[in-house]
Amino acid sequence: MTTASEVSDTRPAFSRIILGLRKVASRLPLHVILIVIALLWMTPTIGLLVSSFRPATEVASSGWWNAFQTPFKFTLDNYSSVISQNGMGRSFLNSLIISVPGTVIPVVVAAFAGFALAWMKFPGRNVLFIFLVALIVVPIQATLIPVLRFLTDVKLVGTFPGIWLAHTAYGLPFAIFLLTSFFGTLPKELLESAYLDGASNLRVFLRLVLPLSVPAIASLAIFQFLWVWNDLLVALVYLQSPSKAPMTLTISNLVSSYGTQWQLLTAAAFISMILPLIVFFALQRYFVEGITSGALKG
Amino acid sequence: MAEVRFEHITKRFGETLAISDLNLKIPDKEFLVLVGPSGCGKTTALRLISGLEVPTSGNVYIGERLVNDVAPKDRDIAMVFQSYALYPHMSVFDNMAFGLSLRKTPKLEIQRRVKEAARILGIEDLLKRKPRQLSGGQRQRVALGRAIVREPVVFLLDEPLSNLDAKLRVQTRAELSKLHERLGTTFVYVTHDQVEAMTMATVIAVMNKGILQQVGKPQDLYEKPVNVFVAGFIGSPAMNFFDVFVKSAKDGIYLDAETFQVPVPKERADILHKYLDTKIVFGVRPEDIYSPQYIVPGIVASPIRAKVDVTELMGNEFYLHMLSGDKQFLARVDARTEARPGQDIELVFNMANMHAFDPETQLTLLGNMGSNLSAGLISNASVL
Repeated sequence: MTTASEVSDTRPAFSRIILGLRKVASRLPLHVILIVIALLWMTPTIGLLVSSFRPATEVASSGWWNAFQTPFKFTLDNYSSVISQNGMGRSFLNSLIISVPGTVIPVVVAAFAGFALAWMKFPGRNVLFIFLVALIVVPIQATLIPVLRFLTDVKLVGTFPGIWLAHTAYGLPFAIFLLTSFFGTLPKELLESAYLDGASNLRVFLRLVLPLSVPAIASLAIFQFLWVWNDLLVALVYLQSPSKAPMTLTISNLVSSYGTQWQLLTAAAFISMILPLIVFFALQRYFVEGITSGALKG
Repeated sequence: MAEVRFEHITKRFGETLAISDLNLKIPDKEFLVLVGPSGCGKTTALRLISGLEVPTSGNVYIGERLVNDVAPKDRDIAMVFQSYALYPHMSVFDNMAFGLSLRKTPKLEIQRRVKEAARILGIEDLLKRKPRQLSGGQRQRVALGRAIVREPVVFLLDEPLSNLDAKLRVQTRAELSKLHERLGTTFVYVTHDQVEAMTMATVIAVMNKGILQQVGKPQDLYEKPVNVFVAGFIGSPAMNFFDVFVKSAKDGIYLDAETFQVPVPKERADILHKYLDTKIVFGVRPEDIYSPQYIVPGIVASPIRAKVDVTELMGNEFYLHMLSGDKQFLARVDARTEARPGQDIELVFNMANMHAFDPETQLTLLGNMGSNLSAGLISNASVL
């Protein structure tokens, strides 16, 4: 039997459910649109992924959406052949050897430079900053020949340090601009307080500015890493030895030599995507933090 | 433990003159409050002591040491900022220990000092928290704690109460005074709030437009302001000013404001005698105006009539915004006074506490009777 009190208890719960439903309903169109856009955006990538697991004959004869019909024909052969026979394993390692220092060096240099440009007083600071930022507009193509000649003179063409230097140079203007701007937004009193506490510039930088700028530095690191990892042009021009080729270069060679063997290209492309995905997911909380926290209130 | 001395300090920021020829001696163990409106140079003066700014000319001394070229960290001072400037990524303990660990203080000693400071400030149970987990009042205490553990010779405080709510501000004011007594260190405190200055300071320095106006004990500044600015700035509600003519009558001299006339008491009449028939500025504090029914004994009462404009009952007292002709003034009278807007009523000025100023120079006309420049605190006469 239902008592009066039970009835009155269920009503608020019921109306709460209605309210909740209404909330969902009011946002439904937005969510549907977002999901559709996301699906459209991902379709080519999903196609790539599915194709990479299909045997060569299937890829040649039918579209990737046919893979979900029985009988299922999936294979790992594409991956094993790309890695073992076409040097993708070695290229993966090369990409790492290029990308990690190619990210770390410019971020570190830019962090030091950003601190100096944002907080240290020295003559010509603003002029220097404007000059550095202006370098952002220099197109990379315009620099290829002079830089190649310079690297030849110092015997760094075709070496990893040579390409690290090149990536550092190309990445620095934007990196310095980003970090200088971010460091500049830190509360002045915070740094003054540290100076009064007895901290040197280096200590203020290491103990205060760096920890408080993790979101900005992480974002910059992701950008720079993706840029270096996905770079083909710089590697093509400055790294002339095939044994040091990164994945982008190897894949582009695969395209010319195996132009018709799509299944190998899809597998190679997917290998090259793995690491950026890992990096992004590992650091993505800093993106969110960078957007939401924003406040560095003491 | 040290005195602080400014000698002919001038500070410019580009074209802007922030401080002009400041001469001020802050004796050891005093609680000096630098007070003035925004942009008067008080914070700049504080930052000159801290070393965060360097003077354009002149010398700053802490104790006997000339510190013009001494880095902030080597000045043995600690500063509490208006925004507290706590390190957001460090715990309360680490915030307080940061300065000590940079100075290579032994770990046990750091722990002892931080715990002791936390005990004094009542924040022992917050040591593990991050600043963002604290309320405004708690953050303010941590900022104080960070200064205390350093055991500096001079404490610098830059408007530390301005981010607190009114109730907490009153409470913290009292605690700061206690803390000053307990630590026995020189405090230099900057505020734009003259109430904070009056309640906490052992010495007040009033600044305006980069120029030091007057230095002295709170009561001296209140009773004997040297110029119109100090008279109007110290005391709340502010002093009323009237343009009056000094006139002579057969039984002495009186002040003629056209809408009212008030006689000048004997000892002040002697001084004002030489200003006969000239215009001066007459000042009277709202609390020196009484309603005739509630006069306290011992005042020199001079009645006037004026029209009530607006009334504000504060509970224990009554603020009457009055109109005498076109001239507005404020009276702070007994709460039992009966007055309605629009009414013409009689009020009484206590002329024993009258003030008189030169309309040109703005300086007091009552000389020693109206001012004391606390000669020991200012080392030359160029302050005005």
